[in-house]
Amino acid sequence: MAISSAKKKPMKVKENLGYKIFLVVNYLIMLFIVIVTLYPFLYLVSQSFTSEQAIIRGESGIIPKGFNIDTYKYVLKGEFLSYYKNTIIYTVIGTVLSLVTSAMLAYPMAKSELKFNRFLTPFIIFTMYFGGTLISNYILVVGLGLKNTVPAFILPMMISTYYVILMKSFFQSIPKDLEEAGEIDGLSKFGVFIRIALPLSKPIIATMTLFYSVMYWNNWYNAFLYLSKKQWPVAYYLQTIIRGVGAKEGDGDATSVSANIKSCAMVLTVLPIICVYPVIQKYYVQGMMLGGVKE
Amino acid sequence: MSVNLQQKNTANKKSSFTKHIGKYWQLYLLLIIPIIYYVVFRYLPMFGNIIAFRKYHAGGSIFGDRFVGVKYFKQFVGDKTFWRAFKNTLTLNIGYLLFRFPLTLIFALLINEIRNIHWKKFVQTVSYLPHFISIVIMCGMIKELVSTSGPINNLIASLGGQKISFISEAKWFSTIFISSGVWQSIGWGTILYLAAMSNINPSLYEAAAVDGAGHFRRVWHVTIPSILPTITTLLILDIGGLVGSGGAFEKVYLLYNPMIYETADIVSTYVFRMGIGGGNFSYATAVGLFEGLINLVLLTIANFASKKLTDSGLW
Amino acid sequence: MKKLKLVCLLLTASMIGSCFVACTGSEDKEETSATTIPSQIETQPTETEEQLDYVYGETFHSDVPVTYTMFFSDASWYAMQDSWLTDGIFKDIEDITNVHLDIKSYDSSDYMNNITLDINAGEAAYIIPKIYDDSAFVDGGAIVPISKYVQYMPNFVDFYNTYNMQEDLLTITRSDGNYYKLPGMYDSTMPDYSLLVRKDLFDAAGVDIEAIEKDYTWEDLCDALVKVKAYMVSEGMCSESDYIWSDLWCGNESGQGNGGNLLKLMGNSYDVNAGWAIGDGMRYDQEKDEFYFSPTTDKYKEFLKVAHKFVAEGILDPETFTQDDSTATNKFFNGQTAIISVNKSQYANFVSNLDTNLGAGNYEVYYAVAPRGLTNYSPAGAGRLECGVMISQKALDELGEEGFIKMLRFVDWLFYSKEAYTLCKWGVEGKTYQVNADGSKSLLPGMCCSGLGYANDEEGSMTDIRLEWGYAGGNFWYGHTMEEASDHFIPPVAAFVEHVGEYRDAVPLSPGLAPTEDQTEELNLIATPLIDNVNTWTLSFVTGKEDIDAKWDEYVASCEGLNSSGLVDLYAEIYGK
Repeated sequence: MAISSAKKKPMKVKENLGYKIFLVVNYLIMLFIVIVTLYPFLYLVSQSFTSEQAIIRGESGIIPKGFNIDTYKYVLKGEFLSYYKNTIIYTVIGTVLSLVTSAMLAYPMAKSELKFNRFLTPFIIFTMYFGGTLISNYILVVGLGLKNTVPAFILPMMISTYYVILMKSFFQSIPKDLEEAGEIDGLSKFGVFIRIALPLSKPIIATMTLFYSVMYWNNWYNAFLYLSKKQWPVAYYLQTIIRGVGAKEGDGDATSVSANIKSCAMVLTVLPIICVYPVIQKYYVQGMMLGGVKE
Repeated sequence: MSVNLQQKNTANKKSSFTKHIGKYWQLYLLLIIPIIYYVVFRYLPMFGNIIAFRKYHAGGSIFGDRFVGVKYFKQFVGDKTFWRAFKNTLTLNIGYLLFRFPLTLIFALLINEIRNIHWKKFVQTVSYLPHFISIVIMCGMIKELVSTSGPINNLIASLGGQKISFISEAKWFSTIFISSGVWQSIGWGTILYLAAMSNINPSLYEAAAVDGAGHFRRVWHVTIPSILPTITTLLILDIGGLVGSGGAFEKVYLLYNPMIYETADIVSTYVFRMGIGGGNFSYATAVGLFEGLINLVLLTIANFASKKLTDSGLW
Repeated sequence: MKKLKLVCLLLTASMIGSCFVACTGSEDKEETSATTIPSQIETQPTETEEQLDYVYGETFHSDVPVTYTMFFSDASWYAMQDSWLTDGIFKDIEDITNVHLDIKSYDSSDYMNNITLDINAGEAAYIIPKIYDDSAFVDGGAIVPISKYVQYMPNFVDFYNTYNMQEDLLTITRSDGNYYKLPGMYDSTMPDYSLLVRKDLFDAAGVDIEAIEKDYTWEDLCDALVKVKAYMVSEGMCSESDYIWSDLWCGNESGQGNGGNLLKLMGNSYDVNAGWAIGDGMRYDQEKDEFYFSPTTDKYKEFLKVAHKFVAEGILDPETFTQDDSTATNKFFNGQTAIISVNKSQYANFVSNLDTNLGAGNYEVYYAVAPRGLTNYSPAGAGRLECGVMISQKALDELGEEGFIKMLRFVDWLFYSKEAYTLCKWGVEGKTYQVNADGSKSLLPGMCCSGLGYANDEEGSMTDIRLEWGYAGGNFWYGHTMEEASDHFIPPVAAFVEHVGEYRDAVPLSPGLAPTEDQTEELNLIATPLIDNVNTWTLSFVTGKEDIDAKWDEYVASCEGLNSSGLVDLYAEIYGK
């Protein structure tokens, strides 16, 4: 871990009572934060296992009342699965495209000897601070004929300038002599990129994979603007049930989605992220810090 | 003579240019697709904002049909709803910053004090988690938690209080907005501080200890000054984003309802309702553009300040 | 030949129509309204039309296969299935008419947002159904001013002329003298939202709801509910501090911040705009022939007082105006509450939920007519129009006039013919429904449809014709005669509709207004903050957060401060007074 206490050694200094009390208080504070952070997740899980009757009676808590898995059976049988599948497809395709194009941009940007960078860097960075508005972006995507196609979901967010900058910082940290050695061995610039720079960049690639896949996994807004119902990712489906169906006049026979179904869908959606992220936590903290510290 | 020199210079330049390209053409080749991407998906919409000055007609040119000048700007300047949204955007962002910023810093300092490495890792892992949860899920959780039959109200009721309909009372919105934001970002926000702290030279602490500084004095006199540049940079970045409501859009959109527009409606949700709900494309673009420009100005000022104070800026 | 038949029909229709005009008398319309539309639509059959070979009463059929694009509002509670295209409603339509509908579907929750975006970006479908408010589209030029073309639509013309729809249509006519939407039309007003009471509890408390509903007032209802509550408390069904009315369609999800359905119902009987019907607050005074701002009138104050009475007496839960709909229904299904709002399509759903939770036979419910206020107005509200269909300019541009007229005929058949109405609602005879000896229709055994009030059995073993094939969906069948519109009503619903017609008076129509683009903009700028203010105060008064008598003047002043008189002036200007 890159983040480890910097003052392990000088800790020998005698610890007074005040400091000991502080340590206990600190422990309690941390415990509180852990509980507050985890409680909403546990509550959702509990609700998803609560029976319909208990929900109607308004009984809910951290321990499910009338434990059953009917809700899961119901959700996994319905349209939820097809939205889930869409999300997986978009996340995989989108992440690959994002990684490739971001690296294609970040690597040349990291080369200070490239004269064009004088123009390129401001050209790229400017877009972080100013850009199209909601409407002009929408009109563009429609104008390109992308509406109701999967690219409309992926392309508008394919390259994140912020992530490109992080990648660039990492590439800059690769020792020059390694790359030069590659060139002496007869590799082309492109060969150096593929054979030397990329293999050395596993931490940043892991970080970017996580960042981009979380971005695609969680996005519903592009789906709202550009996709038809069959193409929905699961996040958009969740969004519709969470906002509530809300009967309007004329939709008088609308029925609202009950809390256990909402919770179940949320648990299923959040599950992959919870499972995957502790595993690659090491990489993304490293990547984050590299980008951040260099800045 | 001078003419001759110039010619020579251009010739030199030219040959060095071709030499440069010759050497680096593969890298330039890599750039082609990303540059096209930026032109199409980042710069074209930027120019598409021109419809703020031109009347846009359904299905017409994406750059509008007819020049109307600042008509739409004049309209929203006289629009009370816009100013309410503008005020809410500022209030929510400033409130959020005031809570999140010090809390994150304190949290980082406290994590740094944990001595059991496994417990520390566990706390960190748990506290980063909310950062990865989509806003949709978070808003779903919020609605479940604060609903009249949810755990928070059950707690209030069991303590003998009156149940509160948090989601539909205007005065509660900022509380919900800020506390959920802190919940989601506090852990993630510590990463850069912790990184900065881990880079502090241990000899500084030793020196302070030799001088007789107690533990808390060392934090105050060594840790905080050492991470001050990080604090300043992050603070300035945050101030630059105060007017922007882009990040808050999804959360507000999913949580608000007409009953609490008074405190919850922000510029981007207003743009959304006007532009998408009402089909007023030009008007909505004018408002969005105005917000973007203010943002840009604030950022420029913040960047200038950052360069003066910490010698590091964004550009 | 066919042409002659059409002309004859139209002549007859117009004669009946003009008789109606004479009877109902619409004397001052010509002077008051800036714009007007014909009381009878005259058709001028052209050669094109003859070639198209489609007249009133016939089935539309295209000789060559054609494809029209259509938007579709996809309801999540009966989501569109692929099978609708191969075996369901879309296949049926194609088989009959040779028209393939190319569906662009959006979820009903975001339907209006999505089609607004599409239309404004020039991506409109030809046929745009399920439109309630068309005002956002009128200026853009993307929607055809359909009134210029209705003469090509024989079923529409027939209904318009037969039932004299001019005045109703005037309410949606714009400043240019055109209307832009083909509305669903009823021959008389159709009630829907009202109250469902636990008849068993009412009876036990000594209140005969069927006897009093004819001319009871909201105060009477409140008194009755006090008795019901006393009974429930004495039986231990609830405690003194509990409320016995927790209503849906008023709170978070569907109340729109204005008190939703319940305040609309009450306000309607007090001759004021409230709840869902608040609009911009402006109401028409028949006697003075002018518009006034109703939320600051004395009638509004009385309405507020009676609404507050329900809360003050411990009957109506003030959380009604903030909670989720499911909170209200859950309480009713549990037997915690004794009354709730209902509409025709929810009736069957409520009953089946009560069966599950209380057990069939352990309770009795009654679909009651909403009480009277200062007036005896019908809860159906004013007018005989429903949501409707818009046609995009794109259709005219791309199909050419001839192709466009052909499409209109298809639209006419689909939305205004009896044949298509039955198909869209009931499905196919022998497949989903049967015609009984007395001429009534019923679903075949094994078929159910929550949209038509045919509930599934306990095990859910029946086939829902709406889920399976897309019949009885919200995109197709609106309006039509009461006879057709009521052909699926189960007895309690039919009785309710009949009672409303019998006990309550029709609400008079307001004259149509036709603001210009600039006036519309100005109206919005004044009305939005003003109505927000009215809603906030209204809910505070009703729930008892503010005292009505003490704070009334302050409230009226706050409305004045937000330029309510400017709104009145603007209306006078638009109305031409």
